[in-house]
Amino acid sequence: MNRGNRILLSCTYWAFVLYVFVPLFLMILMGFKDSKFIGFPIRSWTLDWYTGVFSDSEILYTFGYSVVIAVLSTLISVIVGVWIAVLLEGRKFWGWTVTFALMILPALVPGIISAIAFRIYARLLGIEPGMGAIVWAHAVHNVPFVVLVVMARLSTLPKSQIEAARDLGADPLIAFMRITLPYLVPAILGASVFCLLLSFDDFVRSFFLGGYEPTLPVLIFAMLRSGMSPEINAIATVALVLTAAVGIWAERFTRRANKENQA
Amino acid sequence: MTYDASVRKDAAGATAPTGARPFWGRLVQWGPYRAFAALATASPRRQFAILATFPILWLLTQHLGPMVQMGRVSLLDAYPVAPGTPQTFTLDNYMRFFGDSIFWMPFFRTLAFATILTFCTLILTYPVAYFLARHVSRRNQMLMLLLLLVPFWVGEIVRTYAIMILLGNTGAVNLVLKWFGLIDRPIPFMYTGFSMGIGIVYLTALYMLLPLYSALEKLPKSYNEAAADLGAGAWTRFRRVTLPLTLEGISSGCTLVFLISTGFYATPVLLGGPSTTVFSETIAGFFHVAGDQWPTGAAFAVIMFVTALLITGVFQAFMKALRKGEKA
Amino acid sequence: MTKLILNRRHFMGTAAAAGAALASPAYLRRAHASGGEVNIWTYNDFVPEAFKDQFEAETGIKVNVRLVDDQGKQFNLLAAEQPNPTVDIMTVAGHRFLQFIDSELLAPLDTSRLSNWGNINPTFSESDWATINGEKWGAPILSGMEVLSYNTELVSEEEAMSWDTLFSEKYAGQTAYIIQDMMSIVMLKMGYDGNMVEYMDDPEKAAAIVEEAKQFLIDKKPLVRKYYDSGAEVQQMFVNQDIALGHSWNGPAAALINDGFPLGMTIPNEGSYGFVYTYNIANNAPNVDNAYTFLNAILASPEIGASMTKASGFISTYKDASNFLTDLEKKSTSFPEEQLANLQFFRAEANELKYSLVDPAVEAVKAA
Repeated sequence: MNRGNRILLSCTYWAFVLYVFVPLFLMILMGFKDSKFIGFPIRSWTLDWYTGVFSDSEILYTFGYSVVIAVLSTLISVIVGVWIAVLLEGRKFWGWTVTFALMILPALVPGIISAIAFRIYARLLGIEPGMGAIVWAHAVHNVPFVVLVVMARLSTLPKSQIEAARDLGADPLIAFMRITLPYLVPAILGASVFCLLLSFDDFVRSFFLGGYEPTLPVLIFAMLRSGMSPEINAIATVALVLTAAVGIWAERFTRRANKENQA
Repeated sequence: MTYDASVRKDAAGATAPTGARPFWGRLVQWGPYRAFAALATASPRRQFAILATFPILWLLTQHLGPMVQMGRVSLLDAYPVAPGTPQTFTLDNYMRFFGDSIFWMPFFRTLAFATILTFCTLILTYPVAYFLARHVSRRNQMLMLLLLLVPFWVGEIVRTYAIMILLGNTGAVNLVLKWFGLIDRPIPFMYTGFSMGIGIVYLTALYMLLPLYSALEKLPKSYNEAAADLGAGAWTRFRRVTLPLTLEGISSGCTLVFLISTGFYATPVLLGGPSTTVFSETIAGFFHVAGDQWPTGAAFAVIMFVTALLITGVFQAFMKALRKGEKA
Repeated sequence: MTKLILNRRHFMGTAAAAGAALASPAYLRRAHASGGEVNIWTYNDFVPEAFKDQFEAETGIKVNVRLVDDQGKQFNLLAAEQPNPTVDIMTVAGHRFLQFIDSELLAPLDTSRLSNWGNINPTFSESDWATINGEKWGAPILSGMEVLSYNTELVSEEEAMSWDTLFSEKYAGQTAYIIQDMMSIVMLKMGYDGNMVEYMDDPEKAAAIVEEAKQFLIDKKPLVRKYYDSGAEVQQMFVNQDIALGHSWNGPAAALINDGFPLGMTIPNEGSYGFVYTYNIANNAPNVDNAYTFLNAILASPEIGASMTKASGFISTYKDASNFLTDLEKKSTSFPEEQLANLQFFRAEANELKYSLVDPAVEAVKAA
């Protein structure tokens, strides 16, 4: 491969990294500004916004609440998503295309429309606004992402393995549990991380389906009314550091799982 | 990870050393389960029915349900229906769009923006995905991909405000330019199509990057090497080998990005200017301002969604034809 | 931030002291017996934390606050929840009453159950918008107004006394406004009734006026930097110096002034509109008695009103609330008498006519 091309490509990558990280860096920087508003110039610095985050029980509670919602909705999405992926991948049946289209629908509906559709539908189903309703909406919304990721992985599963197992008398459920599922672990983990983040970051659905406890984005949005203060940046930074930690852990874990799979 | 034929023997002996096996082994031996398995797997058709029932039910009630309900609202003359009054169905909400030209401008603008931004995202992320998939060792690929995804985890609003303090008149970019003496007066980046694009590519890059990356990653290196052996230059190799083989990734990435970018709301509203109003703003207006306009909002949402689907449908068909052409 | 915390602490101390005076033990004891909860939809900082703690401790009624960020969302949520809402008290701007009332979302307020009703400045509690269908529908808590705010280092006070400066070539590309609100102001500036009450019997005239205002804003579109929606946006534009002047609500502008930003605000000579946030009781509210207990308690002392002003930047509707403000806070929440004379309140009577004309006009301006 041409050396010049390689350097050029690596430059585009790092330029993209820069583009992606500069706003992030500014966001973190502003969390230390001693003023009620973000922006330049910064005349003096403070750590108060951060200490504020950790001493404000409402913020911590909201953070925990968002995490619980993210975990629960991800669990549901993963179970349903894997099931649908197994149905769709490598099978041809009447109505496959329609099923696939239906599966992907929630991912394609623009946010505000999906939020209002969920709200109207929740009323029809008798789901009370609150944690249950948010978990439900996030779960439904995230299913397509799980299905897509899992289907991609599933398509690379050597058929011979399943067939061998079936030849040896394993019924489909056992074959699934003993072969397919372990093979899918990296995909499931990747999809889970994605779902967790989507749920954690969601505003519209959480707002329309929420009750009296706000999720983190809803709280931030409400706080925004009294101004974009560095406090919001501090909250977002803390949330970022924590989610990044989860992401790195998941990456490590996936890598290990991959190695074991290859071994 | 291969299937271990000894599972069943182990289970029969009930002396398996590891934890997992006895469970599955015992399950297989357990009478009720065997009866159930025998019943469930009696015929391929029954097997399929058991596999398919739950997903189909889920898709119909959870995925389709809300949309159908919204479609129904879009046909009502008022929602919520006042207690005691009968529901009246009407097409007026749809006619309102076609009857008033002020809605067309944001509508077509949104489609144009979505097209341009999809294209920009593709151009910007393709080299990045290419670099990751082809020039980075497997060990580091995931980590470097993850590095790009980290900032997407910051909420949309917070990130958007960060872009404001990047591009504002006293923003970071203008400060740096001024410091280097390149400008005297700040350049007004904010509240233009440019600032909006910067904000939106942030949101779309992820959806483009992942399909491109997985398409490029699957591509066997040997293809390129073979082409190189035949004397093809780097550009020819890319155009004749890599590009055609990643068309599928390009097509799914573009479809996803296009559809999603027709629905962006907060970013264009916050970063756009007076002449960049998008259709989701129009739609949201019906839900924000007055309550009895839900049906109109729903109808407009349906129009936008159906149009976007049609466009991506045509695009997909075109890409398919292109792929066939390449193969032939 | 340090300042903010100090202020809060300080307030907590004094609120505790005021709490003793606040307690009108009869109703408190009765409510205490019932306990239970009260559910409130309101904006950030509209229920002072210290007051809330105090109220909960004394009455045993748990206060659940759901933060909202605009009127339309409250309407949509409540409409979706009726006839069995989860909310008892919500926060509606006075001029938006009618929409909520017409949809039967609000219950009329029985002011005889509020012994502290008299603590509200009659300017607000007895104003023309406050009584609809012969009933009171909300307890005024904070008042806001449409002002012209300007960076004092870039724009002179003299210039800021006219809305025309907002549309002048001199500040091309350095202005911002909320179009919906600007429509009313432009109508007022042109000498019409921006509330459209005068034209209720003459829809054609009303349409012609809206058309004129719309055309004006379309003509001036090349001069504007941004049509914005939220207070945080306009604050950010001032901080980033993307704009030199703009139309805004006084609350967000006051917050910038209190933070030391060189900002001024005026009610220009052509006049402007004010609005009042009120606490309302939802129709079919699940905890009506607790809602009244809460309303009466929050109206009890001017100090509570002052703390709402400190937090939000909006002007308190309570008598004597300004006695509890610092000089800077007073400056950022008050206007000279001659400017206040130009202020009138938004009114709801003609809203249906007005918004049926203004909403499409706003769309047209945005689309142009």
